[in-house]
Amino acid sequence: MNIKKLGIIIQREYLNKVKKKSFLLITFLAPIFFAAICILPSLIMMGAKEEAKEVGVVDRSGIVLPYLESGEVIHYRDLGPEADVDAIKADLSKADIDILLTISAMDPETKTVTADTYSVKPLGMDSGSSIEHKINDAVEAYRIDSYGIENLEEIMSSVKSNVKLHSYTIDKAGKESISESSVYMIISMVLGIAIYMFIALFSGMVMSSVIEEKSSRVVEVLVSSVKATELMFGKIIGVALVALTQFLLWIVLTLILLAIATGIMGKDKLMGIMQDDATTEMVQQMGGGAVPGTEISLDQALAAATDTTAVAGEPTGMQAIMSTIGNINLGQILIAFIIYFIFGYLLYASLFAAIGSAVENEGDSTQLQLPVTIPLMLGFFIALYAFKAPDSSIVFWGSMIPFTSPIVMLARIPFGVPTWELALSIVILVATFAACAWASAKIYKVGILMYGKKSTFADLWKWLKQK
Amino acid sequence: MALDHLSLDIPEGKIFGLLGPNGAGKSTLIRIINRITIASEGQILFQGHPITEEDVSHIGYLPEERGLYRKMKVGDQAMYLAQLKGMSAHDAAVELKKWFVRFEIQDWWNKKVEELSKGMAQKLQFITTVVHKPSLMILDEPFSGFDPVNAELIRTEILRLKEEGATIILSTHNMESVEALCDNIALINKARLVVTGGTDEIRRQHGEDNVEIEYTDSSLSRKTIVVARPDVNAKLMELIGQGVTINSFKEVIPRMNDIFIKLVTEEA
Repeated sequence: MNIKKLGIIIQREYLNKVKKKSFLLITFLAPIFFAAICILPSLIMMGAKEEAKEVGVVDRSGIVLPYLESGEVIHYRDLGPEADVDAIKADLSKADIDILLTISAMDPETKTVTADTYSVKPLGMDSGSSIEHKINDAVEAYRIDSYGIENLEEIMSSVKSNVKLHSYTIDKAGKESISESSVYMIISMVLGIAIYMFIALFSGMVMSSVIEEKSSRVVEVLVSSVKATELMFGKIIGVALVALTQFLLWIVLTLILLAIATGIMGKDKLMGIMQDDATTEMVQQMGGGAVPGTEISLDQALAAATDTTAVAGEPTGMQAIMSTIGNINLGQILIAFIIYFIFGYLLYASLFAAIGSAVENEGDSTQLQLPVTIPLMLGFFIALYAFKAPDSSIVFWGSMIPFTSPIVMLARIPFGVPTWELALSIVILVATFAACAWASAKIYKVGILMYGKKSTFADLWKWLKQK
Repeated sequence: MALDHLSLDIPEGKIFGLLGPNGAGKSTLIRIINRITIASEGQILFQGHPITEEDVSHIGYLPEERGLYRKMKVGDQAMYLAQLKGMSAHDAAVELKKWFVRFEIQDWWNKKVEELSKGMAQKLQFITTVVHKPSLMILDEPFSGFDPVNAELIRTEILRLKEEGATIILSTHNMESVEALCDNIALINKARLVVTGGTDEIRRQHGEDNVEIEYTDSSLSRKTIVVARPDVNAKLMELIGQGVTINSFKEVIPRMNDIFIKLVTEEA
């Protein structure tokens, strides 16, 4: 290898990609987009909540009204049981209300009431369920009351339970720490998806670059100046540097954006939004009831958000989440991410380079790409399974087999992976990369000079064996 | 087999024509000289020693299928290719500027290659082939794609580079430029060497040693006849005896084109 020439190739590849408008666009828009995704839903929810509603109540049962306590958002106003419903319905604004709630007289047979609302704008889900709850509470109380049991209220309140499950993880030293499985899941999923996307994106970039050189025929001039292997590795390293530059810029830009957001909104408010809505929301969406752990954490988080009487010293949902994040070894994750990205990328980039060398234009590459894209996709799917069942055997093997290990292992890491497994997986990955790079270089050397007929796997095999 | 026991001697400081029908093995030979392909057997001697990685920097190669990075700027591209040939950034810039001035294309420096016409891109490609002052230049169909004016420009440059001491291998199907430029030639067919030697010698060797006589006969019509040299005197006497006017009398040197066709078809 001629280091000087390799350097020139790397430099061209790097500058050529970094100077592209699309690179700048993605580099600067992605953090903004990401920040927007994080903050917007919370802002929207915050905005949606603040819209106060006047509810006019016509209670013919006589039992519901005391339960309709006005809150921050919904104000109840009694219109009297005898109010002319039809007249009010005809023009809600005349009665100065947004929603008309009518409650029928108590049916003595079924001991129930029917309730209807009328409004110009459709009733929101939150308001609807809030009203429904209150009416149910009233009917429940009425029914219990109808049994005529003495001291019922005391009995009921002594029966009511409020047990919360706190999950602790114990390390070898016997140190306990609170864990929140949903936090692991989110981090695991984000890592798995991110590394999959980056490996696919950047190794695909290498393939396009190989195809560009071959289809423009510039490659013959290039290999008359440098060795084909120098050209291939220069390209792969150049694109790797592009990727690292992009990561670095993303980290810096995200930090700047966060700083700006904190500056504008005030730290407490921002944290408040994130805690109240974003996190709970994420936990809710993530849950889906697939794993028992999720439901517990969901309840816990909700309880923490709503239950103000939480006993001091007992961890609330948010504290648990924060503590879980604190427990995760972020340094280990970052190092693992970089190692697995680099070698996963190198492995796939060298395979894609070999495939790129065999085709004359991007369109022809689809078929030859398949055997390389399938393991990559497989890795992605196993990773999706990993954050549901991190200890299953398919996930273990997925994190050992080098073609899936970068993605699967990253998804496993937040749950804790024994050091020997990590080491073994990395050694296998590096060894496979070395073997694939050697084979790819042989294929590449012959492939880039082949024009005319479409190449098949038989051809690639022939080139590999060629001296 | 792309090449079969082929041995060639390419004299330094001369223009060497590499001829042969399509598929004869010319490109393979060129790639082997360039170290793009490594021959399974045999060796290449460059200035007397077996060719090494270093020597590649002293070779300039203009492939038949031209190609440049379409999205790259002309100047960046030329700098890149020159540096890959081992030039320093500074030397590359200085030499390239000289060539750009000579070819009157200074204002192209910041244009993208895709904005250039085919002929313009060819000019740029020629510059990138010769900018590092190679002692051996391998030009595969250097005139294709050029208009007559630019073809003449390239022809002049090739002759100038030869004057400066460069060895040039010219692979072409254009027999006129072979006649005009090449000091020596080699004809390859079906992976084997058919003939090699000085261009003039080969033309003479393969001539039938004929003489062309043009005359005007008694009916005032012009006629041309070709006579084998041993019969020339007798034929001339005969014609003069007939009272015709001899207009011209010259040795027939066969065109490269005819030799090419003759040798290739004889082989078959």
